[in-house]
Order: sequence, then structure tokens, then C-alpha cells
Amino acid sequence: MLVLKLIQSLIKTLHSEGTPGQVAAGIALGSILGLTPLLNLHNAVVFALIVVLNVSFPAAMLGWALFVPVGFLFDSAFDTIGRALLLGTPALRPLWTTLDNAAVAPLTNFNNTVVLGSLVCSLVFWLPLFFAARRGVVRYRATVADRIQHSRLYRAVAASKLYTVYRLFRPEP
Amino acid sequence: MRVALFRWKAIGPLLLVGVVGVGSWLVFADRIAKATAQAVGTTLVGARVEIDRLHLDLPHGRVEIRGLTVASPFEALENLLQADALVADIDPLPLLEKKVVIDRLAATGLRFGTPRLTDGRTGGRSDGVMGQVTRWGEQLQVPALALPTGTINIDRLDLGQLNTPRAAAALAARADSARLAWEAGLGGLDVTATVDTAKRLAERLRGAKATDVRLLGDARRALEQVKRAQERVLGLERSVASGAAALQGGVAGLADAKQRDYALARGLLKLPGLDAPDIGAALFGLAAVDRFQRALYWVQLGRRYMPPGLLPRATPGPSRARRAGMTVRFPRAHVEPAFLLRTAELSVELGAGGAAPRTYAARLSDVTTDPTLHGRPATASASAPGFRLGAVLDHVRATPRDTVAASLVGVALPPLRLPSLPLRIEPGSGTVALSFALQGDQVRARWTMQSDRVRWVRDSGAAASATGDVIWRVVSAIATLEVSASLTGSVTHPRLGVSSNVDRAIADRLRALLGAELAAAERRVRAQVDSLVDGQVAPVLAQVEALGGDVTGRLGGQRAQLDDARKALEQRLRELTRLPGVRLP
Repeated sequence: MLVLKLIQSLIKTLHSEGTPGQVAAGIALGSILGLTPLLNLHNAVVFALIVVLNVSFPAAMLGWALFVPVGFLFDSAFDTIGRALLLGTPALRPLWTTLDNAAVAPLTNFNNTVVLGSLVCSLVFWLPLFFAARRGVVRYRATVADRIQHSRLYRAVAASKLYTVYRLFRPEP
Repeated sequence: MRVALFRWKAIGPLLLVGVVGVGSWLVFADRIAKATAQAVGTTLVGARVEIDRLHLDLPHGRVEIRGLTVASPFEALENLLQADALVADIDPLPLLEKKVVIDRLAATGLRFGTPRLTDGRTGGRSDGVMGQVTRWGEQLQVPALALPTGTINIDRLDLGQLNTPRAAAALAARADSARLAWEAGLGGLDVTATVDTAKRLAERLRGAKATDVRLLGDARRALEQVKRAQERVLGLERSVASGAAALQGGVAGLADAKQRDYALARGLLKLPGLDAPDIGAALFGLAAVDRFQRALYWVQLGRRYMPPGLLPRATPGPSRARRAGMTVRFPRAHVEPAFLLRTAELSVELGAGGAAPRTYAARLSDVTTDPTLHGRPATASASAPGFRLGAVLDHVRATPRDTVAASLVGVALPPLRLPSLPLRIEPGSGTVALSFALQGDQVRARWTMQSDRVRWVRDSGAAASATGDVIWRVVSAIATLEVSASLTGSVTHPRLGVSSNVDRAIADRLRALLGAELAAAERRVRAQVDSLVDGQVAPVLAQVEALGGDVTGRLGGQRAQLDDARKALEQRLRELTRLPGVRLP
């Protein structure tokens, strides 16, 4: 069921009326949800951005789903990076001390090695991911999109109730 | 085509999601806080912490906990404590900084050591602080007292375990080196040639005239050679004397090594000495170590979660599907600590010797994760008829100082199984006291237990033995129990001492009963050691003895030859040059 939903989401996202930039921005924002541990305050902000900004919502969900396993896979590296930033970089210690003793900031769990490491990595890779995704969407629409759009599978997906829900959040022109 | 930046129509659903989120939090906040409190408490204590109900009343800055149960990290089916209710007045503003500041906590219905149905321990015996304390306890070696069989076992002695053969081999090597060095020294003296030259010149001087200046010059040079040879001989003699003394020291070391081997072999008798402290350690050592381990566990937990200083502190992150990582705290001077309990008023229920529990008041103050920030040590105190408790955990300065002292009078004492005997003591009600002080790494602790109505129970399944029967007769006549255990030294190298009235009585009886058998066994192990090491020691002793005598004798002979040659030469020269006003040098 999950795989089916993923396929639906993938197809609909790639064939959405949104621009490649909107789809790519959605994927890049969704990647932050997937790469970092979900239940953290910064992800509420990211989710709000996905909803409020005119980016592709399904693309964001796709990005989230795609990058969850990546996040699990690189947890060890995130831990190392976070440890280096929090404990191995004395120059940053005043910043962490200020944040740790400020209001609200500690609620983001920035002082957790995995949270900080994954957030920093997802922010660093946000722009490269955005441009790569945009290029990929453009190439896809120019090459195989038309054939898939006329396939039975696509028509079946498009006719489903899920598609109706999706249309509510599709990017505005 | 220009694309709008914002999706205005999504603001409504987002707000709705926000409202639903806030509503969900309000509905589930108590459950979330309860789960969090249980998880944090379980991690801190190392045993399951369970809460029946938790209610957050943030507008009034109040948290209520009903039915708190903290399992014992030591005993499987025992609770450390249970509380009917805890009401905490918290300061809401620090919560925004993820800090918990409790101005006042009131706990009612606190009970200790209550039974439970399931094992509440979460960590293994080798994990974390429990692992450290377990390993620490294992290094406190408690001797075994194998009395009930009435036999004394001697394990087979292994030559590799003994010190004497190694010392003998080392001494033989040193003797060989010394012999080679002294032989070389003797060879280098060339005394024979010097003596021969001197003798020849003395003969020639016999018929010489005082005007034979050349001959006189040769004689004087020969005399100088003799004197230098004498000095060399003296130097070598001194070297030989000091070397021989060192070798004799080695011989004395062999005797010491043999004494150590006797002690080693005696240890294989698997019987401590018949001194009361040894027997006391064998009887009550494990019970004492258990008490000290528990005290050390809580003190070490305090040091882990209430460390001194303001350096960043890394602790394991929250448990989740993703890797937990480490959560690092960055304390800063002049701000609130991450956790602070200013005061706690506790209502403790204690039962005395099976009587109905009585309620006592206890007080806790200044418990914080950042003692340096708070500037005051954590304290606990309780005082009631027959019950006293005082604790100070001073982690304000760089060297932490922890002191805990507690005493209970008329409390039901738990049964004690004596590990070396098929006996069990049921002390009934009595007095128990524990003091534990840890300053830096130095520990000083004392545990005492007293009871006037001791009941002795013999294990019916144990095999009968003459010694066991004697011990039973000795201890079953003892109606009182006084045990005192002390712990001193550093945490890494602690020293345990245990004494009791029971071990003194047993020691007296054992001396009478086992003294002869033990003495015979000791003679046997000494003979066994002798048979193993004497064959290796004797040649070395002979070698050292012969070496010193041989070299000293040869040097003495050479010195005598030189003395004779010098005397003869000096006499001839004196006769030949006996002129008024002329003195030979």
C-alpha cells in the first residue's frame, strides 16, 4: 500500500501543473523532513514553509519519503558531524552556549549531535538538491512524460480519490 | 509566467493544523509528560520508573504525580520507593529554555523496599554506573571459608607460579657476570711480571754499588710499578668486596622469595588464617560489600548527573527510531541550571520491626544538575525517633565531596546467609547504620549492624561434618550479633575490613579444632615448596659462595706477592743508599 502511494505521489508530482522549480523546491524542502529526525521543532517550521510557500506539496511528501531511508543510512555520519560541531569546534562554543540558554532554541534539540548534523547537511545540500531536482523534472517532462501520461496506469491513478485530495494542494500557477 | 510566492489558500488549513496540534498537545500533554518523566527517570535510576497519573497545570505552575513507583536497580522483585503523591510547584518561564526549576515539591506516602511482581531492572550488571560499581565490588576480594567439609585442600603447586626459581636464575646470571668481570680484572693486573721484575732487581742490587746510578734508577722504577700494582689490586679487592656483598644481598633475596612462595602455597590451602578479621571478612564481607556498592552507586550517579564545573556535558540522546546521538548541554554562569529542585518536603513511612508503619518527615534541597551554577550543595535530612539521615553532595567545587550517613534503630533486619557456612542468620529487629564519604577519589565508609535477638538457622540440606557441627554449636549459642565493616583507601584500591562477635568466637574454636591440621598442612606445603626450589637454589648458593672465596683468595695471594717484592726491593735500596742525610722516598 505504501509503495502504491509512493508511485501515485511520484507520478502525480512529476506530471503536476507546477513549474519544475516548484517541484524541485518541494523535493528539497521535503528532504529536510526526511534527513533530520522528524519530531523536532525545526520540522514544524519546514512543514509550515511547505504549506505556505507555493511549492509542490506532493513533491515535498515525495522528497520526505525518499530521504527518510537516506537519513537512517547516514545517521552515523550525521552523528560524527554534529559531534564535531558541538564538541570539536571551540570557536562555535559561545554560539551553542548562547542558544542553549536562550528561550525556545533548546526546544529545537539543536544540541543533539544527530539533529544538528543532519540539519546542517540537509541545509548544505538544499541548493544542490534543488537544482538537480529541477533539471531532472525538466528532462523527464521533455522525454518520457507524454508517454506515461497516456498510459493506463496513469489514468487509473488520476481517477482515484487520492488524486482529488492532491488537487487541493497542487501548486498554483 | 510569474509564479506566486505564497499559497494563501493554504493559510487556513495550516492554521487548522496548528490549532489541531495545540489541541492535541493539550489533550495529550499529560500523557507525553508522563512518558517523558518515566523514560528520563528510568534512564537516571537504571531501573523502571512507573507513574499512574501525571497532570500538568502549567497556568498555575503545578505538576501532580499520583502513584510513583521506582524499581530497585539492585533487587529484581523489590521497589526502591513508592509514593502516593508528588506535587511540584514549577517555574514556567525556564520551561521555554528546556529547563525545569521546581520551587517546592511535596511528596506524601513514601515507602521504601516494597515488593513488586516483575523485575524492574533495566540495565545489565555490566552497563554504565552499575557495571562500574559491580566491577568495583568484584575487586574487593572476600576470602572463602571452606569449613563444613572439615578438610583442607592443597592444590598442586606449579613451578611457574613460584618466585624463588626466577630469583635464583637471576642471581646465577649476576654471579656469572661478576665472575667474568673479576676474571678480566685479575688478568689485567699482570702481578706476576711486576713481581718477577722486582725480584730480579732486588737480586742485582745485592752486589751492586751505590754509585751504580743506572741500576738504582731501574730499581726505583720497579718499586713504582709494584706500588701501582698494589693500588690496582686494592681497587679490585674493593670492587670484589662490594660485588660479593651485592651477591649476598641476592642470596638474602632468595630467602625472601622463598617466604613469599610459602605464603603463596599457604593460600592454596583455601583457608584464611585463623585470625578473626579473616573469618569476619569471609562471613560478612559479601554483605558489607553489597551495602557499600549500593552507596557508591548512588554517589556515582550523583556525580554523573550533577557534575562540577561549567564544561559542556554530553549525555545519550533520546531513544527513538533514528540514532540517539549525544545531547550536549552548555551551562553558562549566572543563569538557571537545567534542573533545580529548591526544596522538597517528604513524608516517609517506615515500619519498625513488623509494627505498623510510622510517618516521618524528610527534607531535600538544592538538587541540581549544575551545582557550580547554583552554588550550593545538595542536602538531604531526616530525623525522627530511631531514625536519622543526613546527606551532603557537594559538587560546587572541582573536587566533589559526598557524605551520607543513616541509622535506623529497631528496624527489621534482613536475613543474612553466611556464604561459607550452611547457616543463615535471622537478626530480627536491630540497629543498622551506614556512613559513606567520598572525597574526590578517597573513600571512607562504615557499616554496622547490631541485634540482641539473633536466630540461627541451619541449612538442612548441607552435608554433616565435624567442623560444621562445631561451628554450629559455637554460633547457635550466640544470641547477639555485632557486625562492623569499614572501607578505606581510594575507590580504585579500596581496603575492606570486617569484624564481628561471631568471627571472634569462631576463630577461638577454630584455633582449637583446626590449628593442628592447619599446621600440618602448612608443613606439607612448605616441604612441597622446598622440594621444588631447593634443587635450583643450592647450586646458585654454592656458586656465589665459591666465587667470592676464590677471587678473594687469589687477590690475597697476589697482594702478598706484591708486598714481599716491595719489601725486598725497598730493603735493598735502603742498604745500598744508606748515607748520612739520605732518605729513600
